[in-house]
Amino acid sequence: MRLTAILSMAAKAAFPKDYRYGTSRPWTIAAKRLNPPGKKRRKVFIEPIAYEDWSVFKGDTVEILSGKDKGKQGKVAQVFRHRNWVILDGLNTHFRYIGKTADYRGTYIASEAPLLIRDISLVDPTDRKPTEVEWRFTEEGEKVRVSLRTGRIVPKPVFQRRDGIVPQQWKGESAFGEGGTEARGAKESRWIKVEKEIL
Amino acid sequence: MAATSTGRVLTFCRQFQNAFRISTPLSAQKSALTLTKSQSYPHRLTSPLLSSSWHCHVGLVRQCRPLHTTISRRGLEEFFDIPENWGEATVKSGAPWTAKQLRTKSNEDLHKLWYVLLKEKNMLLTTEQESKRQRIQMPSPERLKKIERSMKRLDTVVKEREDAIRLLQTGQERARPGAWRKDVFGRVYWYRFREHALPWYMNKRYKRKRFYTPLFVTPHMRLRLEKHLRAKTRKQNRERQKQAGLQEKFPQMKAQSS
Repeated sequence: MRLTAILSMAAKAAFPKDYRYGTSRPWTIAAKRLNPPGKKRRKVFIEPIAYEDWSVFKGDTVEILSGKDKGKQGKVAQVFRHRNWVILDGLNTHFRYIGKTADYRGTYIASEAPLLIRDISLVDPTDRKPTEVEWRFTEEGEKVRVSLRTGRIVPKPVFQRRDGIVPQQWKGESAFGEGGTEARGAKESRWIKVEKEIL
Repeated sequence: MAATSTGRVLTFCRQFQNAFRISTPLSAQKSALTLTKSQSYPHRLTSPLLSSSWHCHVGLVRQCRPLHTTISRRGLEEFFDIPENWGEATVKSGAPWTAKQLRTKSNEDLHKLWYVLLKEKNMLLTTEQESKRQRIQMPSPERLKKIERSMKRLDTVVKEREDAIRLLQTGQERARPGAWRKDVFGRVYWYRFREHALPWYMNKRYKRKRFYTPLFVTPHMRLRLEKHLRAKTRKQNRERQKQAGLQEKFPQMKAQSS
């Protein structure tokens, strides 16, 4: 299938109004344990942040402002917009046993806990200190994050897909046989100029 | 008698040409005229093909309109996929047509494409039914969705063109005529006209449908309006309270415009 088809394959699933989102994906056993069908839990209030105002992305370097690992900088591994959460690599960890069986005590691993967006601050790449960030437009019209203290642009981190495809260098099968998307009209914006009046 | 003669003519023509003629009903006078005209032409027996075509002309009593159909190349096999795809778990298919691509095509191309898509859809539906019958999974069911989306977009493009031409030629915004009418409950709605065989004053079923509000319904209209306004105000108050609560919990939150 085409790259566009693969990229836009996720369909929208329906959730109940009081669904409590966690760190696991909704179809996993852990998420199903967290939300059994008849459960009623206290509602979690999340600060509504508009889609355009979201500043933290996967791969960004951020600094923790409060908590156990206060003052440490780390890379963002995962972002949960539905809870305003961010998981950093190796920071804010607690320890637990994984893969426990009847006779084996399990592997002792460090698992990261999510941090709220308000306890996180983006780091200015030049002086490596936490700053407030605002969305502004450049001369070309591009929307970029600008650090309010220094005024420098914080570049967006390069997103690497799990299957290693770089959309700009996609050289996959574009047409199956002769009839393909290319054969439909490579020049879609090829309009003929009509000199005389139509009606 | 007329029907059988037309039928005979059709079957006769189909044997020799794939373009056959459909007859439209006309007055008896005109049909007599055509009959005399065809009888006055001298018979030219140059080749069997021409003579058969003349037979067609002589046999026809009414005026004709040409209709062309493509030859069915594979017959009933067109309802099934090509034999190379039989037994496969997945069948490769391209992306669906986008409206942007379809807008560059001419009307004739779109007309042909519609039937190509329709035949493909029939083939896929047959495959789906057959898979259900054999209790196996249909190979690549996303093809059906692609076809449906392509056909919908084609329909949209054709509607756009029709709308443009109608607006330029007549200035009418709607293709189907209608009017604003009141129903029995006092609600004003856009009633779209239908085609009837009788005038409205002779149509008993149409007269039973009342396009006016009886007098005893008028107090209920006011009550309904009050209910609607009450619900709207309650919703607005609830929204405002929710925003106030969120602002209290999250003081640095930006006030939502919605």
